[in-house]
Amino acid sequence: MSEVLLEVKNLKKYFDTPKGKLHAVDDISFSLDKGKTLGLVGESGCGKSTTGRVILRLLEATDGEITYKGIKIRELKSNQMRELRKEMQIIFQDPFSSLDPRMTVSEIIEEPIKLNKIIKNKKERFDRVLELMDLVGLSRRLMNTYPHELDGGRRQRIGIARALSLNTKIIVCDEPVSALDVSIQAQILNLLKELQNKLGLTYIFITHDLSVVNHFSDDIAVMYLGKLVEKASAEELFSHPIHPYTKALLSAIPRASIDNKVEKIILKGEITSPINPEPICRFANRCNFAEDICREKEPELKETSSGHFVSCHIFDK
Amino acid sequence: MDNKVLDIKDLQIRYVTEDGIVEAVNGIDICVEKGKTLGLVGETGAGKTTTALSILRLIPDPPGEIVSGKILLNGIEVMDVGEKEMERIRGDQVSMIFQDPMTALNPVITVGDQISEAISIHQHVSQEEAKIKAKEMLELVGIPGARFAEYPHQFSGGMKQRVIIAIALSCSPRLLIADEPTTALDVTIQAQVLELMKELKEKMNMSMLMITHDLGVVAEVCDDVAIMYAGRIVEQGSLVDIFKNTKHPYTEGLFNSIPNIDDRKAELKPIRGLMSDPYNLPQGCSFCDRCDYVMEKCATEKPKKVYFSETHFTECHHYSDNPDFQLNKGKK
Repeated sequence: MSEVLLEVKNLKKYFDTPKGKLHAVDDISFSLDKGKTLGLVGESGCGKSTTGRVILRLLEATDGEITYKGIKIRELKSNQMRELRKEMQIIFQDPFSSLDPRMTVSEIIEEPIKLNKIIKNKKERFDRVLELMDLVGLSRRLMNTYPHELDGGRRQRIGIARALSLNTKIIVCDEPVSALDVSIQAQILNLLKELQNKLGLTYIFITHDLSVVNHFSDDIAVMYLGKLVEKASAEELFSHPIHPYTKALLSAIPRASIDNKVEKIILKGEITSPINPEPICRFANRCNFAEDICREKEPELKETSSGHFVSCHIFDK
Repeated sequence: MDNKVLDIKDLQIRYVTEDGIVEAVNGIDICVEKGKTLGLVGETGAGKTTTALSILRLIPDPPGEIVSGKILLNGIEVMDVGEKEMERIRGDQVSMIFQDPMTALNPVITVGDQISEAISIHQHVSQEEAKIKAKEMLELVGIPGARFAEYPHQFSGGMKQRVIIAIALSCSPRLLIADEPTTALDVTIQAQVLELMKELKEKMNMSMLMITHDLGVVAEVCDDVAIMYAGRIVEQGSLVDIFKNTKHPYTEGLFNSIPNIDDRKAELKPIRGLMSDPYNLPQGCSFCDRCDYVMEKCATEKPKKVYFSETHFTECHHYSDNPDFQLNKGKK
């Protein structure tokens, strides 16, 4: 039986700006089973990275509940949270700016082990670093090199090794392959998948690239302007998308194939401002199906078939 | 007069740096026909952008150095033209769109003035006329003319890229070079911008050189494709040739690296290793360290072009030995 590792309920994160409250994450809920991958998809500014950070409490949520292994982590004190963070790690998008340029590869990987006093013996710690380097496919001879000497793919491997250096259970992967070339991207995706099988990791995979997320995730949640508009298993979402935004997003992916051309749904207009949004459907002004009700009240997330949730007035039947 | 808007022959470019010589472009031939779009595909460091900049003669020298080759633009030999004449050609006969719309615009000049600047320089019209034309251009790319006097920061990423397209097209160039024009944009916005570019290309009967790393974008907009690796064109052909009759192992590797959207269970087969160090390219085929089909002579001998049809060629030893050689499409 699958076991729920992480549960998020009515999570909200608002930022204060001079113009008003920016609703970066607005009332989203989902749960994630152990050993599974949830893909969090959306365009820039939809709140996907903020969601990832709020879950790790790198940013404090405005409201809502985050339960990890039955513990409500928003209520934890900072020392308790530090303890728990050994299990919750993050991999960043840009392998160029997320590594300290003045530390060598082995120092970067060693640092979390040292700081958290996991292994106190220097020799043993060193062995652990080598083991981690082998695990992520970094050649041992690179131990004393600095990040700037390495290419993006190798740097991303360092980030992964660092994230795995503790007793990691869940990793938030924030666009881990977006900055890499396709051939390298495939290497890193395969590595992440292999590590998941080997170590039983759970991932929250944040990306704007739908073909990557489809390949990688068990479940996919689509976000638009801070709202969760649709959530389903990857297979279900790609074969039966319901929300007009999901449909447009899927049709917009450039396909590397010259057969079975998909008719593109070109969205009109630009994204509305997330500052003090009105309580209506946030997609209404770009939606080809919008009716009066969409501009009058906010749709709720409803389950249309088992495990398939959608938030749309028109299509939630 | 033939139909070639751009004809590059045996172009070789290198950068002489303190650490050594970077062989960026190593003898390539490219030709773009009137009204057609050629996709130039490759990974970071393949030499795509260097090639594009050389057409506009914008390679910084030093350290850049064009060692040999010819670049014919509408029949004019670009290398022989004086600087004054070159300034006239840039923007008028050929213009370029850059990857990053956030940094390509001047933040302290209104978008309208940035568009009319190009028009008044090249078309010798009064400022008033240039302004009217600039407004038309804005509307052509789908931005209300009323936003003429706004500054770049007031526009979103997709809108900025439209402004840049408006500047690039303001003098109706014969050739548009687009260097990763949609890479920095979100997918739904990318779809809008690609659609717009296709439409304008038709309308203005332009040719286009589309530089990209995304084979999905290529399938959408290009007629012909050139695959570039370590400064060489390793395979070139029509869209159908490249997608249906893939010949070069590197091209095959690129296709196998992309997650297949219609088959989520398909396993990714990445190309192993990394791109060869451009300071120190292998003596033979530059792809030999990463190739799954490598033979003994690949390491020592440079492969020659093998033609399968008038338009489709590849540079790989396997075909010169055995023209019926088949890639196994990752099935091993």
